[in-house]
Amino acid sequence: MARKPKAHAASHTPLVLGHDIISKPQTIRVDGVRAAGLEASRRRINFTTIVVAGLFFIVGVRLIELAVRGSGDDSRIAAASINQAIHRPDIVDRNGEVMATDIVTASLFVDARYVIDPQEAAHELVGVLPDLNEADVEKKFASGRPFIWLKRDLTPRQQYAVHNLGIPGLEFQREQKRVYPNGAAASMILGMVDIDNKGTAGMERYIDRTGDLLNKPGDLTATPVSMEGESGNASSGIRDSGAVMLSIDVRVQYVLRDELEKGVEEFHAKAAGGMVMDMYTGEVLGMVSLPDFDPNNPNLSDDNAHFNRMTLGVYEMGSVMKTFTFAAALDSGAVKINNSFDATHALKVSRFTISDFHAERRWLTVPEIYMYSSNIGSARMALAMGRQEHQLYLRKMGLLSRPRSELPEEGDPLVPANWTDLSTMTIAFGHGLSVAPIQVVQATCAVLNGGFRIQPTFLRRSGPALGERILSAQTSNEMRELMRLVVTNGTGKKADVPGYPVMGKTGTAEKAGKGGYAKKKLLTSFLSAFPANDPRYVLLVMFDEPNPTPTTYGYATAGWNAAPVTSKVVQRIAPLLGVRPVDQMMENPLIEAKLVTNGGAGD
Amino acid sequence: MSLMPMTGRPMRLRDKFFEFNWGFLFLLTSIACFGFAMLYSVADGGFAPWAIKQMIRYGIGVGVMIAVAMIDIRIWMRLSYPIYAIAFVMLVAVDVVGFKGMGAQRWLNLGLFQLQPSEVMKIALIMALARYYHGLTLEQVSRPLYVLIPALIILLPVGLVVAQPDLGTAILLSAAGGALMMTAGLAWRYFIAAGAMGLAAIPVGWELLHDYQRQRVFTFLDPTRDPLGAGYHILQSKIALGSGGLAGKGFMEGTQAHLNFLPEKHTDFIFTMLGEELGLFGGITLLALYFMALMFALHVARQCRNHYGRLIAIGVCAALFLYVFINCAMVMGLLPVVGVPLPLVSYGGTAMLSLMFAFGLLMSAYIHRNVEIPRTPSLLW
Repeated sequence: MARKPKAHAASHTPLVLGHDIISKPQTIRVDGVRAAGLEASRRRINFTTIVVAGLFFIVGVRLIELAVRGSGDDSRIAAASINQAIHRPDIVDRNGEVMATDIVTASLFVDARYVIDPQEAAHELVGVLPDLNEADVEKKFASGRPFIWLKRDLTPRQQYAVHNLGIPGLEFQREQKRVYPNGAAASMILGMVDIDNKGTAGMERYIDRTGDLLNKPGDLTATPVSMEGESGNASSGIRDSGAVMLSIDVRVQYVLRDELEKGVEEFHAKAAGGMVMDMYTGEVLGMVSLPDFDPNNPNLSDDNAHFNRMTLGVYEMGSVMKTFTFAAALDSGAVKINNSFDATHALKVSRFTISDFHAERRWLTVPEIYMYSSNIGSARMALAMGRQEHQLYLRKMGLLSRPRSELPEEGDPLVPANWTDLSTMTIAFGHGLSVAPIQVVQATCAVLNGGFRIQPTFLRRSGPALGERILSAQTSNEMRELMRLVVTNGTGKKADVPGYPVMGKTGTAEKAGKGGYAKKKLLTSFLSAFPANDPRYVLLVMFDEPNPTPTTYGYATAGWNAAPVTSKVVQRIAPLLGVRPVDQMMENPLIEAKLVTNGGAGD
Repeated sequence: MSLMPMTGRPMRLRDKFFEFNWGFLFLLTSIACFGFAMLYSVADGGFAPWAIKQMIRYGIGVGVMIAVAMIDIRIWMRLSYPIYAIAFVMLVAVDVVGFKGMGAQRWLNLGLFQLQPSEVMKIALIMALARYYHGLTLEQVSRPLYVLIPALIILLPVGLVVAQPDLGTAILLSAAGGALMMTAGLAWRYFIAAGAMGLAAIPVGWELLHDYQRQRVFTFLDPTRDPLGAGYHILQSKIALGSGGLAGKGFMEGTQAHLNFLPEKHTDFIFTMLGEELGLFGGITLLALYFMALMFALHVARQCRNHYGRLIAIGVCAALFLYVFINCAMVMGLLPVVGVPLPLVSYGGTAMLSLMFAFGLLMSAYIHRNVEIPRTPSLLW
């Protein structure tokens, strides 16, 4: 401090002052003030120096602390993150069959600094791993870099062979690889993981997401399915053992895929889909969307094969949607089961004409309208009930909102922005409203299970999970009769199975293309439930652009492809699901139901 | 001591070269060399793609620094307000026509090259504030009316930068501005008031933060809450720093960095990699170099006989210090993650150029430290 006044004085030699006077005389006046300012800012500079030095000291101490303490304390974190990074829970089906699991593999990398002769080493390595490119490997060996991947996920045999070469610099990194023993069978449900074992699609992704939710306290509770709060007795599917138990039955899944694959081949269809759901629990027992992919090697297939048609795709489903129109009309009381409607002439609304595919050109009763799949009749029924009522029922059945199962791949239904009377008429027979097939199955469950809403799930539930009642028991019974009628007397005769009576509804929709609907491009579906005497399972089978074959007499409608495939599927899965076969003579589903519960039927 | 002001003979370019503190440039170059080495190592021992570009940029930066230093400090003083005005206009423009890089709207495309106006503003703000306080007496400094103007000079660009959004730069700008006001002699009561207001504003500010910014704060408080998500950066960074030990794993031997556990290892997290490969000794050496550079800047501030140069030196010192401190504290888990690079070491062009420009100003203040500039307030210059 003593030095500073001196420096201050030195700066005010007469010469300087004189210089100042000549240029800016007025500065003399503030000279004393300026000196004070100089002193003040010196003090402030010293203060700054102390602050800077202090904070640097803190940073330095922290650095020393981190370095000296080493990773000792943080190893816990490192270990935890490693564990989480590589371990995924096993996924098992409802019977405990493994559908996805982790195995330990070795991945090969090179520390190129230790490679002695890149050319020879590359030659030898490619000798045991022929899928590697020799020139490429040689370049990597010659690069001199300490870490380059050569090949991920070697088999033990390959690892052994590489090990035996004894090339210095080659090293293995233990890794976890996800394997799916059933291959492509359940690919749409399981989804897949990326190279770092992170779920990128399907239930794999769901598991990661739920895991995240569980880790985050507070804001979101980790109940994966919203319905569970209501039903109470359903379990989440994630078991204490760490395995995730799905609602899927691998055997059902396999049969469904097998029959659909055969169907695709037979009818040269572009794509196909199928789903089996338990109508009392909402559990999906099997779901297939073809083409699909092998989750073990998801990159081998194109985007089309990764597209889940059952949950992500939305379609104008055609006549199967009449099921919901009928259920709504009957339940609202606007239409009675013995009413009749005029289907003599095509129905003209503004510039549209609604006509029937299987035209009868007469007055039809309600069961006849359903049986012959009359568009005119359905449209008139929907009008009789009214636009608002129709909409309300569809909403209650969950057809106007996203299904919200666990799968991340879910599509929003395409609902007309401006719902006119014409919309009501076309939606009555399945056009003008696009929904995901899983929604159709979900709504059908409610129609047939006594009128209770269900929440579809891919996780195992311990028992029935019925939601709010949306239809009366009587409506549900009447719908069962109508659907059985379609198989016994109507368009779905080919769906029936001896011993396992099937009920259902055909749907053949013309696909919307450029400039209207394409006559030749069909989306056919058969919506069914079995056993008809005591319906428990809803099954949907659909084909995208099936072609006529000689055995179908040139027809490509649902009755000729989706219905017979349904029959084949039911034949094979009904015994697996423990359904008891019944005598074919007992036709009325209600009577049959009674007999079965009395133990009157059996083999 | 130069005799120039005594004799009235203007300094010639040769005198200026003689006055230029080459030791300081050597210091900066040593710091930059740490950066080159690390960028070379990040690329697994390759000059491409980072190290060579960084060297070229540093070379250009040195040229800029010398050129800026040669120009008379009085000219810089006259240009202070215009430069601030231009930077401000660019900052407004970037909100209107700029495109977004990495999710934040920070860059202005000038055809030939892309400019980050917030970087320009870092220098312009220091210059404008220094210019402003140059024209005030100590008594005036603490009068409320005279506090309002510099407050606006700081807060207007800070507001624009926050809107981009670029929290790191905003903190840097306001802290550097605050440091300048402090050195200018602003009464402590203002700082106490500002601190109190800041504390009171925390709940409001919390609402305004972006979701990712909030996550960072949570993560800062407990990095283990999401070790693979938001906490990943900081945990891996601490693991890397810790695993280096005293002497490090050796140049190009760091596993965390080379096995790609470390994100952003060539930019904001480069200090981590340095800690892992060169250990405590490397880290302390680099910190010591920075400390020496800072002490030089403070030395210039003490030596300067004109107020403008003194404030410029303080401003540059504050900016450099904030960069270093925030970055180091961030990678060591002492502060939440904000995007602030390590000056001269992190890979990046604009930050390097603006820093070298700032060092040029510092050097100009040093060369012209004995020039006395009349302290007249002025609207334009």
